[in-house]
Amino acid sequence: MTAIDEAFPSDAWFSELVARALADRSALERLGIAELRLGIEITEDGNGPRLFGIVLDGYDIESLGELADSELGAAATVSGPLEAWREMVASIEEHGQADTAHTLNTLSIAGVPFTLRSADSMGYDKFFRYMGTLQALFDGAGSPASPAVVD
Amino acid sequence: MQMAMGLDLAYLERAARGEFDLGWLRHWDSEWGVRATPSKTGLTMRDIAIGSYGDIPDHAPRRTMAPRGSDVDPDVPDLGYTLNDKADVWADNVLDLYEEAVSRQWSATRDIPWSELPELEPDLEHAMCQLATVLSEVEMVAADFPAKWLWRINHDFVEAKMFLCTQIMDEARHTEVFRKRALANGGGLGRASAVVERFLQLILDADSYDEGSALMHLLGEGIVLSLFRAGEFLSPSAVEKKIFRLCMQDEARHVAYGTMHLRYRLQRDPSLAADYHAYLDKGEEIIAMIFATPEIAEPTAILAAGGVEQAAELGTAAGDIMRHQIIGEYLRRCQHAGLDRRGRLHLPAVLIEGVPGAMVETAA
Repeated sequence: MTAIDEAFPSDAWFSELVARALADRSALERLGIAELRLGIEITEDGNGPRLFGIVLDGYDIESLGELADSELGAAATVSGPLEAWREMVASIEEHGQADTAHTLNTLSIAGVPFTLRSADSMGYDKFFRYMGTLQALFDGAGSPASPAVVD
Repeated sequence: MQMAMGLDLAYLERAARGEFDLGWLRHWDSEWGVRATPSKTGLTMRDIAIGSYGDIPDHAPRRTMAPRGSDVDPDVPDLGYTLNDKADVWADNVLDLYEEAVSRQWSATRDIPWSELPELEPDLEHAMCQLATVLSEVEMVAADFPAKWLWRINHDFVEAKMFLCTQIMDEARHTEVFRKRALANGGGLGRASAVVERFLQLILDADSYDEGSALMHLLGEGIVLSLFRAGEFLSPSAVEKKIFRLCMQDEARHVAYGTMHLRYRLQRDPSLAADYHAYLDKGEEIIAMIFATPEIAEPTAILAAGGVEQAAELGTAAGDIMRHQIIGEYLRRCQHAGLDRRGRLHLPAVLIEGVPGAMVETAA
């Protein structure tokens, strides 16, 4: 398992996360098609929230980098404090995948530390419709670096 | 002309002499020259919903299995379908949900790392097996119900029928994976309670597809989706986490159909709202069942607490989270479908207390 060298959170970190997922196309296709614009919001005391966008589009995944809420038009946004996100990433880096206490569903089900928000129930439920893909994407933070980075 | 069972036996003799009819080749009423273009994931159902083939009638003109858009022989028999209006079964997302379902199939045999199941404390194993028993029991009704209605749905709405077929496969797999979990780690099946069976009967015996779909796709599967989320949260190992995560995806697809089907139905006939309220008035006791049935409430409490000893305290907190989640998410889905259930839930006050929108709002 190889941690992503880039700082979390950053455009480069999310780009590398997506690159790792795309590097194994057969695994991605096994997970199946998905359609979701997901916001990942990171809050920090004393600073405004930072929002990063991920798009699941068929068998493709795209990182939109850091952007404004209005630019993203997310169907669902998962939000949490920086330390909780960092703890989740550290767990993935240590175990190669999220341990039982640090999966996306586990961290968001009680509204603490992560909350999930959406304009409507369809967007909200998409977070669960594509949970396998989303968890596999984030578990990539503990997988080998993408070929582009290795090169 | 010699005929047997509707067959033109004289044609057999003509064909044997090389005298083909070729009527089907020279004259037809269906649309020619249609060329569907694959999109980025392949040739999807949406890609082929083009030209006259994409026109889905609000009311099916025939009751046959003839493919929609084909040149239909006027002598086709009446196959007796009873759901002949598009609004009976349609949802605007049903083409996409079908493609998604086919693409996201998984195997309970291959995709679950069964050999990695850790040994659990006996009470935890028992709790997991009891939860698996209940889920193996309730999931099959979501196959039986669409199967009961599929043959009554007009073939002109074949995309909706195809989606319901994927749901049947999904539910078979859920029944399979929870049965396997109960038997895979030294436990076994637990208790099947009468109260659970009575609620399954309510769905299976629904008088109409409207009623059954509201009870099952919207209400029942919404509750089970929350149970799957809770199951993932409570899972003692990564193996159960993966089981619940994969089931959660399927269940969310079924709920997406149920929500959007009700929305489609009510947009075309708002007067049906009163009927749907009545169905759900009757069905919402299913929510109470989750919390009032020991075979469901107590295993989740024990798994949440990590054992029987701590279950009374920690399990109650987990139950409160589930209660808020189940009721809150159900109310939002109803609202999105165009059926506002806020303030009119048929549930005991103790269950809806503190849930936003669940209580009747009184004027100050």
